[in-house]
Amino acid sequence: MTRYIIRRILWFIPVLLAIVMATFVFVRAIPGGPFDFVGDKSLPPSVVANLKAKYHLNEPVWKQFARYLYDVVIKQDLGPSYRYRGRTVNEIIRDALPISTQLGLLSLLLGLAIGLPAGIIAALKQNTAIDYGSTFVAILGVSIPNIVLGPLLIWIFALKLNWFPVARWGAQAPFFLGFLPVPNLTFWKYAILPTITLGTGLSASIARLTRASLLQTIREDYIRTARAKGLAERVVIVRHALKNSMIPVVTILGPMFAMVVTGTFTTEQIFGIPGLGKHFVTSVGNRDYPVVVGTTLLYSVFLVIANLLVDITYAWLDPRIRYD
Amino acid sequence: MTEDNILVRVEHLKKYFPITRGIVFQRQIGAVKAVDDISFDIRRGETLGLVGESGCGKSTTGRTILQLYRPTAGAVYFEGQDLAKMKGEQLRRMRRKMQMIFQDPYASLNPRMTVGNIVGEPLEVHGVASGKERYERVQELLQLVGLNPYFINRYPHEFSGGQRQRIGVARALALNPSFIVCDEPISALDVSIQAQVVNLLEDLQAEFKLTYLFIAHDLSMVRHISDRVAVMYLGKIMELTSRDELYNNPLHPYTQALLSAVPIPDPVVEETRRRIILEGDVPSPANPPAGCNFCTRCPRILEICHDEEPEFKEVGPDHWVACHLIA
Repeated sequence: MTRYIIRRILWFIPVLLAIVMATFVFVRAIPGGPFDFVGDKSLPPSVVANLKAKYHLNEPVWKQFARYLYDVVIKQDLGPSYRYRGRTVNEIIRDALPISTQLGLLSLLLGLAIGLPAGIIAALKQNTAIDYGSTFVAILGVSIPNIVLGPLLIWIFALKLNWFPVARWGAQAPFFLGFLPVPNLTFWKYAILPTITLGTGLSASIARLTRASLLQTIREDYIRTARAKGLAERVVIVRHALKNSMIPVVTILGPMFAMVVTGTFTTEQIFGIPGLGKHFVTSVGNRDYPVVVGTTLLYSVFLVIANLLVDITYAWLDPRIRYD
Repeated sequence: MTEDNILVRVEHLKKYFPITRGIVFQRQIGAVKAVDDISFDIRRGETLGLVGESGCGKSTTGRTILQLYRPTAGAVYFEGQDLAKMKGEQLRRMRRKMQMIFQDPYASLNPRMTVGNIVGEPLEVHGVASGKERYERVQELLQLVGLNPYFINRYPHEFSGGQRQRIGVARALALNPSFIVCDEPISALDVSIQAQVVNLLEDLQAEFKLTYLFIAHDLSMVRHISDRVAVMYLGKIMELTSRDELYNNPLHPYTQALLSAVPIPDPVVEETRRRIILEGDVPSPANPPAGCNFCTRCPRILEICHDEEPEFKEVGPDHWVACHLIA
């Protein structure tokens, strides 16, 4: 197992290298450049040329890439932002990532806390009113985009009922361990609406997958064997069915985790949360090359690590899966 | 035949699976009559073979007797108590005495449990043994079914089909049951392994005075292992008698057709074997024919067969048949 994990971690290097290289080349292939406009005005060609020279954009791409790799690997420096003058990509990530991670983790926990029990109950009460009810809610949860749910929640709970603030985030650096906020009342007041907005969709996907997988598992022959042993129904479900049905759920949790902890564009925009999500999107429009490549690299790192954790969990869930 | 001798008495047992239609409001539009009004006894210490073609309700009968399916109607008396009326804790306690060996040794063992847990779990939930005692008992059981006790911490996928079926047998034996339903325990195994498992079942029966309901479609295997044999067709028992009587003097046309299909391992006799070939297909159990269930394919049909269902009655000493031909 240890050998397997080491080998997998070594594989991260070529995978991440390929991702960075592709992003690096492709983003430069998009027409336009980072210095085409400042506000509404376009810059004089001489200024653009000077800026390009400053950031080595006039060099061949392979040379730029070698320079970038050297900075990232040796100096752990993801470069300067072309758009936000005086800010580096490292600073942007350092400031925005912890907040996105807080929101992402809370939403994921909410998604699991609602999704797993809802899926289990729906499967055990298949084709009853409870099942149809929870399936309906789950489809609703998947179908309503955050861009609708967020403003709706703000309108009801912030504007009409005045229970929660309309926007912003209730925690600031420094954070414990780099990302854990002080869980005081202010933090929760600001966190609840965005967490519900983001968590609903996650819980709905988790519930649907849990239901489908558990339904398949409880039809297995060994569940009948368990009943024949004379086990109580609760034991049959918990000990024999649940763990066997968790593999598909764990599988989606990996990418889901990487996606939400690196920030979500819509939810963060709606609630004015200074997270990382918007940088994934705006940096492309701005042709802010270092931010595009830096955020992509960060997301990829989260994704490969999450997938490794998923694969390790497989081995625990199913003894037939062995790595060596 | 005294009452004490009877371990299991099945009376007018029915198991219908509903066919429903409708999306929101489901209404029943029919039923698959998997087991349709069957009655028979299983005597203490005997092996009752239950044969019939695929889909005739053999497995459903076995599962319904053990209440893994709840019967639609009828009674199953086990040591005089009606299992069909029991539920919950009371029924779970009865499971100590009646167990099942399943057909598919690949699917019927939980893939993420060790052999020790699969075999030992019943001991624990019924409060028979736990901890070290349980561990020793499991080792003992593994040895009993011819597996190395050292395998206790392995997982089912590390075993071959025959070994896995031995695990299934050890599991069924864990609680010292008196009655075991063997639901085609050898059909999924290689022919070379089948004899081993059958011999194991026979040895265990002799050692622990077990009573078997042996479900199979392999007629020669049933002949080998059974004391009495019941022949099932489309949810009903057509004929039930002792093994020798059944194979030497089959009375029901369906039994005769079934037996005529068995090849005989003697070229001289095989030469003269006359196969009775049945025409047509088995009718759907959702819509069985009126009268005798076999009337659509019977080679010796009478007028009455289409209208009246034949009674399942004793026509000779311990020879029961449901057929209008035998008056």
